[in-house]
Amino acid sequence: MEQTVNNPLEASSAYNFAYLDEQTKRMIRRALLKAVAIPGYQVPFAGREMPMPYGWGTGGVQVTAAVIGPDDTLKVIDQGADDTTNAVSIRQFFAKTANVATTEKTAEASIIQTRHRIPEKELREDQILVYQVPIPEPLRFLEPRETETRKMHALEEYGLMHVKLYEDISRHGHIATTYAYPVMVDDRYVMDPSPTPKFDNPKMDMMAALQLFGAGREKRIYALPPYTKVKSLDFEDHPFEVQSWKDECGMCGATDSYLDEVILDDKGNRMFVCSDTDYCSERQDAGHRGPQHHDQPLGTSHSNGKAAE
Amino acid sequence: MIPQPRAPELLRGFENAAFESNAVFRTILDAMAHPGRIYDLPLDVPAPTGLNKSATAFLLAMADMDTTIWLSPDCASNAANAHLKFHCGSPITGTSSAADFAVARLDGDLAFITDLALGNAEYPDQSATLILQVEDISDKADMILRGPGIKESQNLSVPGLPAAFHTWRAENHHLFPCGVDVIFAADRKIAALPRTTRIEVR
Repeated sequence: MEQTVNNPLEASSAYNFAYLDEQTKRMIRRALLKAVAIPGYQVPFAGREMPMPYGWGTGGVQVTAAVIGPDDTLKVIDQGADDTTNAVSIRQFFAKTANVATTEKTAEASIIQTRHRIPEKELREDQILVYQVPIPEPLRFLEPRETETRKMHALEEYGLMHVKLYEDISRHGHIATTYAYPVMVDDRYVMDPSPTPKFDNPKMDMMAALQLFGAGREKRIYALPPYTKVKSLDFEDHPFEVQSWKDECGMCGATDSYLDEVILDDKGNRMFVCSDTDYCSERQDAGHRGPQHHDQPLGTSHSNGKAAE
Repeated sequence: MIPQPRAPELLRGFENAAFESNAVFRTILDAMAHPGRIYDLPLDVPAPTGLNKSATAFLLAMADMDTTIWLSPDCASNAANAHLKFHCGSPITGTSSAADFAVARLDGDLAFITDLALGNAEYPDQSATLILQVEDISDKADMILRGPGIKESQNLSVPGLPAAFHTWRAENHHLFPCGVDVIFAADRKIAALPRTTRIEVR
């Protein structure tokens, strides 16, 4: 497990601190202040081209670049994992251009950039969570015109979103939306919580940490101040529910975390494992064991459950 | 002929633009995210006549050629104008309704606040931010704040805040999502009052 790394001074001086020029950072910072003042509202900003393709987190990277300072410690996760290509390369990007400390430990980070998960460990007031957002407009697949969705937000005209959720119920018997599940922010704006699994939606409600959202291709920034009411849309007779699993994590035995399904062979064997790698390894370090951990005796149990709604 | 410098008393801005503007921004971001909570200015900057240190640091960190600044008559000294033009490159307007950032003193004439840009229903972000220079800010329970960013409630006291301000602020709050965000800037301390915050005046 990688600990907090104080990155050596190999930072390339050809770039400004944190890559972006100061004027760009000021422009993003102004958008961030407006976003915090109007929770859930999408502030347009003059997104720049970043040295990575759209879809790899150019929005989140620009927000992080505008916020990060020399004393920050950065953690980057991709679906809960610190060790995937996207997370590693963004972490290295800031280690190189901002010379900041990086970490894989949730508790040690002051800024956490995430692609679609919220860490299982409760975040604190002194932490900032930065989301990479592909499509910031929750109404976009219902109404393609930006002029119209702007009006719908202005008029709080969110009936269409409820119709969409209702169509889920009429087709599947329950609300089948499992990620990018729309939320109502402070009783005013319907917001796309970025494609996090709906499992994470309740963590957004009244979270102590500041949450910032950056969409690079769509050039929008939005935010949730700490302690802001975030309610997942639902119906009285079909209340919002998160996913649950019959299984525990194969490695650490956790039953309260978001589990990824891993196919083990072509005979139908599979295991479930925590999506949050830091949470899982912290539990393993504390001595928790799941049935498929490598120091457990072989063949004790073969998990064969199904993710249940 | 030796050219004479036109502004011989021009004060310095940030010593390191990247780090100092970041430090000031983070303080403002924290203040905005925690309405009414009082933050110390993280560094020292020289302030021109008419502006205090917090207001100067705010403008150095946030304003540039894309933002129009309006200075109230009691802030608009030649030194302040020259300072902002040189360090921020901002256009300075005489019309308060055109301002992105409006700077005023609490003990001055506040009649302009009703002219400030509120944004519109589709783009409520196109509104002004008011930087109000005050003598002091404390957490005495003169105002009790509630809303996003505040866990239960937050006390705030700004001595000398007139009733007219509260009347304007109540109307302003009613216009949400449109509205003006206010920064209370004491010399070395700041606190923010975003448009979402509900105020109970004691």
